[in-house]
Amino acid sequence: MSRRDLADVERALADLAASLEFPPTPDLAAAVTARLEEGPERAPTPRARRWRWPAGWRRLAVAGLAAVLLAAAVLVASPGTREAVARRLGLRGIGVQIGGPPPPTVTTAPGARLDLGLGERVSLEEARRRVGFPVLVPGTGGLGQPDAVFVSENVPMGGRVDLVWRARPGLPASAFTDAGLLITQFRGEPTPEFLKKVTGAGIVEFVEVGGEPGYFFSGEPHFFTYRDAAGNLRDEQTRLAGNTLIWQRGDLTLRLEGELSKEEAIRIAESMR
Amino acid sequence: MEGRPLDDQELVEQARGGDARAYEVLVRRYQDLAFRTAWVIAGGSADAEDAAQEGFVKAWYALPRFRAGSPFRPWLLAIVANEARNRRRSGRRQDDLALRVAEDRPSGDAAPSPEAAALATEQRRLLLAAVGRLGENDRQVIACRYFLELSEAEMAAALGCRPGTVKSRLSRALERLRAVLAEQDAAAPTTLPGGDR
Repeated sequence: MSRRDLADVERALADLAASLEFPPTPDLAAAVTARLEEGPERAPTPRARRWRWPAGWRRLAVAGLAAVLLAAAVLVASPGTREAVARRLGLRGIGVQIGGPPPPTVTTAPGARLDLGLGERVSLEEARRRVGFPVLVPGTGGLGQPDAVFVSENVPMGGRVDLVWRARPGLPASAFTDAGLLITQFRGEPTPEFLKKVTGAGIVEFVEVGGEPGYFFSGEPHFFTYRDAAGNLRDEQTRLAGNTLIWQRGDLTLRLEGELSKEEAIRIAESMR
Repeated sequence: MEGRPLDDQELVEQARGGDARAYEVLVRRYQDLAFRTAWVIAGGSADAEDAAQEGFVKAWYALPRFRAGSPFRPWLLAIVANEARNRRRSGRRQDDLALRVAEDRPSGDAAPSPEAAALATEQRRLLLAAVGRLGENDRQVIACRYFLELSEAEMAAALGCRPGTVKSRLSRALERLRAVLAEQDAAAPTTLPGGDR
């Protein structure tokens, strides 16, 4: 068909294009927006991925991630109370779900190498520069400056800062983090980005921290499902957590984990400036 | 600026500043293009949706690396197409574009007769079938140019090749398409739609 030149073929292709039917485009905008609210699905920056820290810090950072997680513990309560509590559970950025089967957990045995999408270890000043919210530190309790500060600029959106204090007299090491105290803060969106799931024999108490709502998790260890290095929430990325206070300060959501009583935890939380 | 839709650059700037709403506007603007590009490259597999969605999410997190002032479309398409290629490699190969030719619906005085419309539709189907018989590279470059109406820079981004090679890739693909059409004609003579001047 030598009489056909390329211009004919091109013309025919343009004509074909006009009547070509692609399958309907799915509503990607809604799906994408929902995923962005969940947080990154991949390690945010190569820099974060390259970061190595001493083995001890590694486990601490694991705990830090818990702030952005699902936690699970079981509430010991009558079904009626359970429902009543469930209705009011949840803070900006963290939903709390009560009941359901406990998720499988990863080992938290010493030396477990959980290579998660951790933040970068930086100075407090650097962390403050990197995130879009004022980073609070405890003002009382004789804690002093944190021994280590981690920042993650992408998990969740808006960034997250983890402050870690080593265990010491009066600040016993958590069986779950090895740290004396771990405080995580991020700007929680009104829509929960993370779900805390409470199952088992744990206790969840509604508390007030400086007049704002919070929850104290205690009793049995509860579960946190955290994001792996790629930012994915996976069932196998679940660890046990000790006593934990989560609370809100304006549009900040904070989380404090350590072997502390409720009163001690609230006292530290309220001192944060 | 009330009432004036923001252009890509403005939306990208806002999205870089963390404005997810601005990014959503961009996603709406380009979701058809992204999905269809993924469809062409993933070979019509259902992975196209996945690839496009993943592409948009990755692009959001890659925004800090986006060069301010450069066009958004090719940058986005490169990311989406890469996702689509990864899925294609892991999935089974499909041998055509899995697209349909719409029936001509004659209307008005200038419309062709139903017979002529049916013939035109048939010719388009044959042409689409011929494109489907091409190799993957040829098929993709033709689809990017004619079905997605991408610019050369966008084609290069979507196909993962250097901009300088797009033109020659396209003309080689058209040559091969012409050869396939010639074979088809030899088997069952027909004329090209849109070419009967």
